[in-house]
Amino acid sequence: MISIDRLSKRHGARTVLSDVTFDAQPGRVTAFLGPNGAGKSSTLRILLGLDRATSGSALVDGVPYRALRHPARAVGAMLDGSGAHRSRTARNHLAWVAAAGGIPRRRVDEVLAEVGLWEARRARVSTFSLGMGQRLGLAAALLGEPAALVLDEPVNGLDPEGIRWIRRLLRGYADDGGTVLLSSHLMGEVAEIADDLVVIAGGRVVRSGPLSEVSAGYDNLEDAFFGLTGGSAR
Amino acid sequence: MRFARILHAELRKALTLPATLVAAGTSVAASVALAAYNAGGVRAAIDSGRLDTVGYTSPVEAALSATPLGTVGAVILGVVAISSEYAVNSTDAGGGRQVAATLAAAPGRVAVLGAKAITVVLLVAAMAAVALPASLATARHIIGSEAPAEPVGTIALRAAGVALYWALTALLALGIATLARSGTLPLVVLIANSSVVSFSFLLSNLTPLAYYLPDLAGMRLFAQESWAMVDDALDPVTGGLVMGAWALGLLVVAGFAFARRDA
Repeated sequence: MISIDRLSKRHGARTVLSDVTFDAQPGRVTAFLGPNGAGKSSTLRILLGLDRATSGSALVDGVPYRALRHPARAVGAMLDGSGAHRSRTARNHLAWVAAAGGIPRRRVDEVLAEVGLWEARRARVSTFSLGMGQRLGLAAALLGEPAALVLDEPVNGLDPEGIRWIRRLLRGYADDGGTVLLSSHLMGEVAEIADDLVVIAGGRVVRSGPLSEVSAGYDNLEDAFFGLTGGSAR
Repeated sequence: MRFARILHAELRKALTLPATLVAAGTSVAASVALAAYNAGGVRAAIDSGRLDTVGYTSPVEAALSATPLGTVGAVILGVVAISSEYAVNSTDAGGGRQVAATLAAAPGRVAVLGAKAITVVLLVAAMAAVALPASLATARHIIGSEAPAEPVGTIALRAAGVALYWALTALLALGIATLARSGTLPLVVLIANSSVVSFSFLLSNLTPLAYYLPDLAGMRLFAQESWAMVDDALDPVTGGLVMGAWALGLLVVAGFAFARRDA
């Protein structure tokens, strides 16, 4: 389980997050929804120990990410695409991630096949499309067969077939008892995947709960999104 | 156990990064080529009987005069080990940086930087193990039988001094690039400093304290007293210790910054 509790983050005078609180439960897909710049990535970066919070806590199974004994088995993460250096090949990227996580080498080829990059395993990341980069990032997240997946904008750049594929993959992951937390600014995609929604705008959570509750009173999720975030289209 | 995994990952990263292999390979090739060129000059002087035109006839000097090229290689290895983490992917591919993947896989940041330092030293050692014997063999072959005989122990000691200077230079570069979080500026400054003109050397004209700056302090690890520019330099042991202290101190500062700031 992932618990975010009263998380705040300031950059100098600018407040990036204030009092962000929500949980992502095992067996459910939790979508973290908000316009660009609302604080989704900042929250996920703090959760993964990349950035420091000004106050509050972000815990995985009750401990901060940095204190996890086997981070790769607890959380599979994807931030900003693949995270692979552009001059490395897909397979070499996954090989070092596996080495760092103490994950058996055979998993590298397994996840390459699972995300559909087997043919491209020897291609340099600089030749990848956005969709292929997303698949590589997802492959790295899946390496350690983790209990939770934390994915920043995973459907970005995927073609319709890729979106169907990731939807099925995440559904299956949650149905097997995994925790899935994904961020998105695309409401349509999220409505099809999510069980729970956390809507964030301007660094504050404006609504959270099961999908049906959050969109109650609105015609559809898109209306709910713009209603809750007080926004016009970006 | 956990550190062994991080070290394994860092070694893998370094060896699968084309920039690492190009830097090491080019330095080795350039060192051997310069050693051959210098040895050719000695050979020509010997053949023409004009030994006064060369500063030395020793193949060891001919080979070690190529040391600055290896220093440049060491700088690149040290810088690239960390700057590759901060290189931004094209926005087509999500615009991410590898450092996020690195720290998600291994949240212990001091361990990550420590593993990088060990990796860099191992790479430099491998580079030296190829470049120095190859340069020496090439120079000896070209100068031929007129070469003055030198005890193996002395040669080995000087080669070890060169390798140590390179390794410490690479660690200094790693520390500086970690603080800078990029490669371009450290590369420009450090390569200019080790190949074109040393700022510390210029400064040594003003104050002898400049001999305690990192690059000059370790100078005598490879340079003979006869080299004009190092007249007043620290002796090899003191100089090596001073340079080592600089490298260690800089890595501690870099480690502190790396551990504290947002990735």
